[in-house]
Amino acid sequence: MNIHTYEKFWLAASMVLIVGFILTITYGTVGIGVAMVDDSGETINPENINDHPKFSSPGVEQVGENEYDVYIQVVQFAFLPTEVEVPAHSTVNIHLTSRDVIHSYSVVGTNANTMVIPGEVAEVTVNVDEPKEYGVICTEYCGSGHHNMEGKLNVVPEEEFEGDSQ
Amino acid sequence: MSSKLRREIGHDEFDPKGTLALIAIYFVIISALWVFMYFVEFLGNDLTIVGTIL
Repeated sequence: MNIHTYEKFWLAASMVLIVGFILTITYGTVGIGVAMVDDSGETINPENINDHPKFSSPGVEQVGENEYDVYIQVVQFAFLPTEVEVPAHSTVNIHLTSRDVIHSYSVVGTNANTMVIPGEVAEVTVNVDEPKEYGVICTEYCGSGHHNMEGKLNVVPEEEFEGDSQ
Repeated sequence: MSSKLRREIGHDEFDPKGTLALIAIYFVIISALWVFMYFVEFLGNDLTIVGTIL
């Protein structure tokens, strides 16, 4: 088969693009550790959330030198606790579950967001850097008060962090 | 507008340089946009969900 030189060139160029796309995604996943929210979290009976050892008193808990677990109950129409405070330069594992319908936990202006499904615990791990106040909203329409659902994720300087905030 | 001048050229003599230039430009634009979108807009948009692949 006789293929023109130019045609070989743009066939090769399109292959380079595809390989390039795959390589960048691989770099993001392997090199930086970008992950997807999956169903690896536990399941939970949405009627008995208050029997859960962690979700019964949601809040922030230090679990490692620089690692914090956050437990948040999501209901119509609030995040409980509404404001979460974590220290700067730490790893934060956010655990979320819903008591009623499907909600979402979306940290505004960032890549961090997940659906919050009744019966499932969604786990989101983020590395926070500099102190900053992040707004949190629900992006799954969940009822008449959906637009009022808001929360906060406050990254505070290490020296100002006071431990468990409920 | 039929010309009396007719020239037959072979397969490899036909070189669409304009098309080549266009494709080269598209290639550069797409590559630049991809790099911008992934490395600047996406990876620069902290917080990003991280984890380990099982």
